[in-house]
Amino acid sequence: MIHNALVLCVILISIGIIGALSRRNIFILYMSIELILNGINLGFVAASKLHGQGDGHVIALLIMAIAAAEAALFLAMIVMLFRSRHSLDTKKFTLLASKERPHV
Amino acid sequence: MSDTLFFILAALAIVGSIGMISMMQPMFSAISFIITLLALAGIYALLGSSFLFAIQIVIYAGAIVSLILFIIMFLNIKPENLPQEPSKNRFILLSSFAILPFSYLLISMLNFLPQQQPTPEAFGDIKSVGLTLFNDYLLPFEAISILLLISLIGAVILAQKERPIEISDKEPK
Repeated sequence: MIHNALVLCVILISIGIIGALSRRNIFILYMSIELILNGINLGFVAASKLHGQGDGHVIALLIMAIAAAEAALFLAMIVMLFRSRHSLDTKKFTLLASKERPHV
Repeated sequence: MSDTLFFILAALAIVGSIGMISMMQPMFSAISFIITLLALAGIYALLGSSFLFAIQIVIYAGAIVSLILFIIMFLNIKPENLPQEPSKNRFILLSSFAILPFSYLLISMLNFLPQQQPTPEAFGDIKSVGLTLFNDYLLPFEAISILLLISLIGAVILAQKERPIEISDKEPK
């Protein structure tokens, strides 16, 4: 079962990377990043079972805390971006990449 | 029995995540993300970590996804606010072809796993996880408390009402 769990971990990380690469909706970008973190968590838990030690569980717990902190900041950033651009399209958030003066 | 349960949960997790990256509406993709998270919680329970099973349900499916759903409803998203993605399926196909060699490499590396060690009696319950956390990982624990405080302050500052930014017409000298 541990081998299958690690295969599932790789599949989830790959689906997360595919979503982050191919979608332009910023919510789905964020949820893909969360999916990558979940796949990494599953890998840690499976490796902890494989080695018979509890360290992987602790690291998975710490990753969940980091994901919670990331959720707060990312969603606040989405609220701010939606207020200023009225869109969820990542192609419109190009203020740092543009050469023109910002028109706010 | 547990293998059958594992395959059902793994299929649910994969279907939920594929649904998450292919839905147009963010609300639907958040709901199918919940399916993935709950299936992953069941897999944690099958792998013998009862503490992470509870934490996964409480923090991920309870707190983070409900925060996402709250923000989606709070923003009052109309269809014209969503990005137009006419070639979404082609992008998903192309990026999955780009990812395929790496995941094949990782999965073929899994054939060289070491032998499974026997697990101790109290494995993955709250007492052993807490003892490991406060004996060996005390410094990362404290660092994460500071990180949570900083992200709390940062979220409050980012989401507050926007003050009008004054941009003068004169060029800076």
